Amino acid sequence: MRAVIKNGIGIFSPQGFLDGNNSTSFLSIEDIEVTAKLNTDMILVSLKKVIFFNRNGLDTFVKMFLKVRQTTHATVGFCDYDSKKFDAITNFYKDDLNFSLFVNQEAATLFSSNFKNQNKNVLLYCEDKSQRAAMAIELHDNGHNPIMAQTLSEFKEKSQIKNAYDVIINDTYLGQVGLKVATRVTGNAIIYTVSSFLDAEIGNTFNIAYHNNSLNVGFRLFIFDAYKVVSMNVHALNFFSKLASSGAEYNASICFVGLTFEKIPLAFKETLEDSGIMFYEQMDDILQNKELLEELGASSAANIKNKRVINKVTVTELPNFIEATVATIEMMTNAKAMKESVKIDLLKIEEKDGKIASSIGFYGAIDGMVVLVFPTGIAKKACELLIGESTDDLDMMLDTLAELVNIVGGKIKTLLADQGINVDITLPRTYPNIDSLLEIASGKKGAQVDLAFDDDRFLFFLTR
Amino acid sequence: MITENKINDYIDKIPPASKALQETLKYLHLGELAKAAKAAKEDLALQAYLRSLVNKPIYGFKNEVSDISQIFTILGISTSTQTVYNYMISLLSPDKWLLFKLNQSSFSSLQDELSISWRKILHHLNINDKNIKSAISLLPASIIVSEALFSEKIEDVNLLRSVNPIDLNTILKRLCNKDLFDICENISVKWNMPNEIASIVQAASGVKPSTDKKIDNLGKWMHLLLFYTLSKPLYIKSELNDFIDFQIEYVQDIYEDFTTVMEIS
Repeated sequence: MRAVIKNGIGIFSPQGFLDGNNSTSFLSIEDIEVTAKLNTDMILVSLKKVIFFNRNGLDTFVKMFLKVRQTTHATVGFCDYDSKKFDAITNFYKDDLNFSLFVNQEAATLFSSNFKNQNKNVLLYCEDKSQRAAMAIELHDNGHNPIMAQTLSEFKEKSQIKNAYDVIINDTYLGQVGLKVATRVTGNAIIYTVSSFLDAEIGNTFNIAYHNNSLNVGFRLFIFDAYKVVSMNVHALNFFSKLASSGAEYNASICFVGLTFEKIPLAFKETLEDSGIMFYEQMDDILQNKELLEELGASSAANIKNKRVINKVTVTELPNFIEATVATIEMMTNAKAMKESVKIDLLKIEEKDGKIASSIGFYGAIDGMVVLVFPTGIAKKACELLIGESTDDLDMMLDTLAELVNIVGGKIKTLLADQGINVDITLPRTYPNIDSLLEIASGKKGAQVDLAFDDDRFLFFLTR
Repeated sequence: MITENKINDYIDKIPPASKALQETLKYLHLGELAKAAKAAKEDLALQAYLRSLVNKPIYGFKNEVSDISQIFTILGISTSTQTVYNYMISLLSPDKWLLFKLNQSSFSSLQDELSISWRKILHHLNINDKNIKSAISLLPASIIVSEALFSEKIEDVNLLRSVNPIDLNTILKRLCNKDLFDICENISVKWNMPNEIASIVQAASGVKPSTDKKIDNLGKWMHLLLFYTLSKPLYIKSELNDFIDFQIEYVQDIYEDFTTVMEIS
């Protein structure tokens, strides 16, 4: 079968019934590989003309997708389906959805890097908050203006407004957005997912630069979700031992969750424990235990290894960072920003009460960290828009701020890319009070910009 | 452009040439099975075809059936009529297929699968009209005519398809101003089938719905059956799946019933 290629997206369109017996007749790995070579950054199978499919039918495609993705890094998945089909696919793959789903080809186009800066107004809804944020970031990255509906009813209501949006997106899932799939953040812990046999390949598949930058940004707790790990060899053992040793300089904790030692020598466990790695049976053993979380460093950020100062290259980009931040906060709060002062100095926060903060790191051609200090008033306004209701729940506000700063990070990435400066962003982290922020940022010199959003004072700090 | 005359030349080849075959069909139309069997015995090729057909596993008979009278009795009038139509079409099946990757065996399988499934559907719909039963034979017949027309212009067809992944039915329409279902209609006229049959196959295109509720419903079932059958690996590989454009919305309201009748899970 031949794909139709448009805007860098290769689309295969089988028609009729799709099951395990006929899927290889519709599409072969050679068909996909040929398409991948034709300058495509997305390879999708359209389900528009497929009236019936089952898991076996999709599995064949998924296996081929993943094989091709390993070499080409193209986004792979399915498109053109209704809600019923979307629900069926997400049910089939609820624990293992590692490909993308786009409700239609127009939605897919917005996420294609070949379709940047089209400035489309996009109404967006996804039940999963982190997916929603990931999509918003990608859309920002590609130069669009995402408007997120917080609830299904809000989405339905907004989607009825004629000509308000260029594109309406729901029933969509991003299976591979940079590092976000293999890595997720809960509170201030970073969770890496590893599976099957761990061998020397872990050195290639694990993004060590990302990990190091997460340490620089202040993350201290790293959890390896290892439920699906069958076994590991001595090369993987050495890798994790070294990772633990390098993390020790930052006082970081590394934990494994769900790892069984049925097929792994117990001596390996002892070696890993000697390196400081801890083992837990269940993810909730850590995440639901606040005392343990604190002990493991999920709320602490002391002992920064390098206290680097901001340099000229980073300061030159300051207007871009400010622009990205202001645009995002204005969009989230419906308030107009006024710049009050700019200075290069140590981070100085006069009034600590009633403030929360978040930060996000970037690395690549230039590196650094953006810290945003929110008065709870602004944080609440942003939360109202993101979660659709007013809240005083601190955890919820921090989660929402994490999403917001993620969007700021995505916007910064886009603005820098427009100038030929390529950076990646880390996951965001949040600080429930100013003291916890100062643990990582005090003594760091940076550019501090004080902004006023209506009557609220907001602080932007750029450092390294 | 392939002219109307050229298409009619191909279709003219479809009616039976042998006297025995004409007699068989005549008696079947009159409902006289014994006389039809007697006439069929005069055509050795037809006898061999009927024997090999009914003893295929798809028909599910435990013991070998060899007597023609017995075969016609087992099949009944309408199925026997449909089977003789299939035989007539198989006579026209080309030795070498140029566009579709088919051969006599795979084409015969297509006829059988369509016929048996169509009978199941008509049984479900409580329809026992021998012309409607035979209507399904028009599709394979039309495929043969289309193959012949495409073969005339095979280079043009391949060029068109290399530039654009356009469906073959659209190419057929551009080549001769008729699509697969128009050709079905022409064949039904040549076979003196009632107008209703032409309307059913036209509705089965999925893009020419009938205002008559019964005809439109049969068109939906035939359209979905066509795609169900053409989704089998043999016909995907033969490129028949690419022939026409599946109109998924057209068949939505009968889909659940269809999956029950065809036992799809």
